[in-house]
Amino acid sequence: MRGRLYAGLVTGALLVIVASPVIRSPFDDSFPLSTYPMFGTPRETQQTLDYAWGQTRTGERRALPPVLLGTGEILQAVRIYERAVLGGKKTLEPLCVRLAAAVAADPSYADVAIVHIVTGTHDAVDYLVRDKHGAETERVRCAVRPP
Amino acid sequence: MTRLAAWWFAPAPAQRLAAVRIIVGLYALLYVAVRLGELASVARLPVANFAPVGVIRILGAPLPAGLTLALAMATMAALACFVVGAWWRVAAPLAAGLLLWTLSYRNSWGMVFHTENLLVIHVGALAVTPAADAYALGPRPAATPASGYGWALKLLALLTAATYVLAGVAKLRLAGLGWLDGDFLRNQIAVDNLRKALLGTPTAPLATPLLDHPGWFAMVSLATLVLELGAPVVLLGGKAARAWALGAWGFHVGVILMMNIWFPYPLFGIAYVPLLHAERVIEVARRVGRKMFRR
Repeated sequence: MRGRLYAGLVTGALLVIVASPVIRSPFDDSFPLSTYPMFGTPRETQQTLDYAWGQTRTGERRALPPVLLGTGEILQAVRIYERAVLGGKKTLEPLCVRLAAAVAADPSYADVAIVHIVTGTHDAVDYLVRDKHGAETERVRCAVRPP
Repeated sequence: MTRLAAWWFAPAPAQRLAAVRIIVGLYALLYVAVRLGELASVARLPVANFAPVGVIRILGAPLPAGLTLALAMATMAALACFVVGAWWRVAAPLAAGLLLWTLSYRNSWGMVFHTENLLVIHVGALAVTPAADAYALGPRPAATPASGYGWALKLLALLTAATYVLAGVAKLRLAGLGWLDGDFLRNQIAVDNLRKALLGTPTAPLATPLLDHPGWFAMVSLATLVLELGAPVVLLGGKAARAWALGAWGFHVGVILMMNIWFPYPLFGIAYVPLLHAERVIEVARRVGRKMFRR
């Protein structure tokens, strides 16, 4: 009987804990007790994002993946750029220099000469389906110096 | 009430629960091992990016990178004991606590991921059940506990279902039934792939071809909500539970094809192991092991 009481208490406690996010604001996400807001939040296809790109010596454009920022996760990279832009020159310049150093250290980006951190506004469907790009404002740029 | 108790405590073999322990624990151990490099680089991100979540909120500032790595290594050691069922009463809660800490820390750098929640919940739940009464190092219990092992498997299945129901409820709380018109999902998929394109990671293979056909997303939205809110069907067990698990697995494959987001815990089938006769996996592994050693 004591075994069943223990099992009942464990079951009740875990179910209450795991279900508890329903009484929080859906935007109050946490870990591991998530409100799972990611696919429920309404979004417009027109988005303004902060990101970086690399300019090659011949003037072509190369995207710079999150791994160059020290994370494999794209959303973490988005937050890093957002925070840097919010912080202004004081945070943007060190980030640009750090990114340029990572680019210089990676032989697969040997052709990249300049790193640009920009804020771009694009319509996601136009960008992906019709290859129509929106406007970009440059926040900072820095040269890639060979290691 | 008596019928409910009889159903909840219906017997199940100790080997089944133990097999779930081994499979879930081994996955957790490998997951932390594979993430060690990333944990190390994330721990070196600038302090400004530190945004603690969950248990990490007790910290006012990030830990030194070396300590973060040491805790991740301790997590792996405790998980190894969890897998082999050694020192269960101490090692299992320790493994659960350290896994919670290590993965919460990974989620505390500006973005909460949703790919590790159920893993942490399952390890935590297993740690408070008699999951080391079989296939374990150390002494076996003299008798089966009065509560048996079936309740623990049902609890794990219910926790799996709860995470899907919460995801469905979140959609209804945030967007109401309007979520079903397909535009919400289409826009989510478009925005997610735009981020990927701008930040130099691969976009999903079906995103671009499907984004031009908005009508398709209404059907996918309905299927998603039915699957998420219908997750408690797992409590029926048997074919119904297995059919739901197959549907949920297919849903995660769809997420890869449309968003290139990988949820490895369900994709490898580990999230659904409590719904299956998991002991068969261990028996097959043992037979294969014996054959290999004979050679």
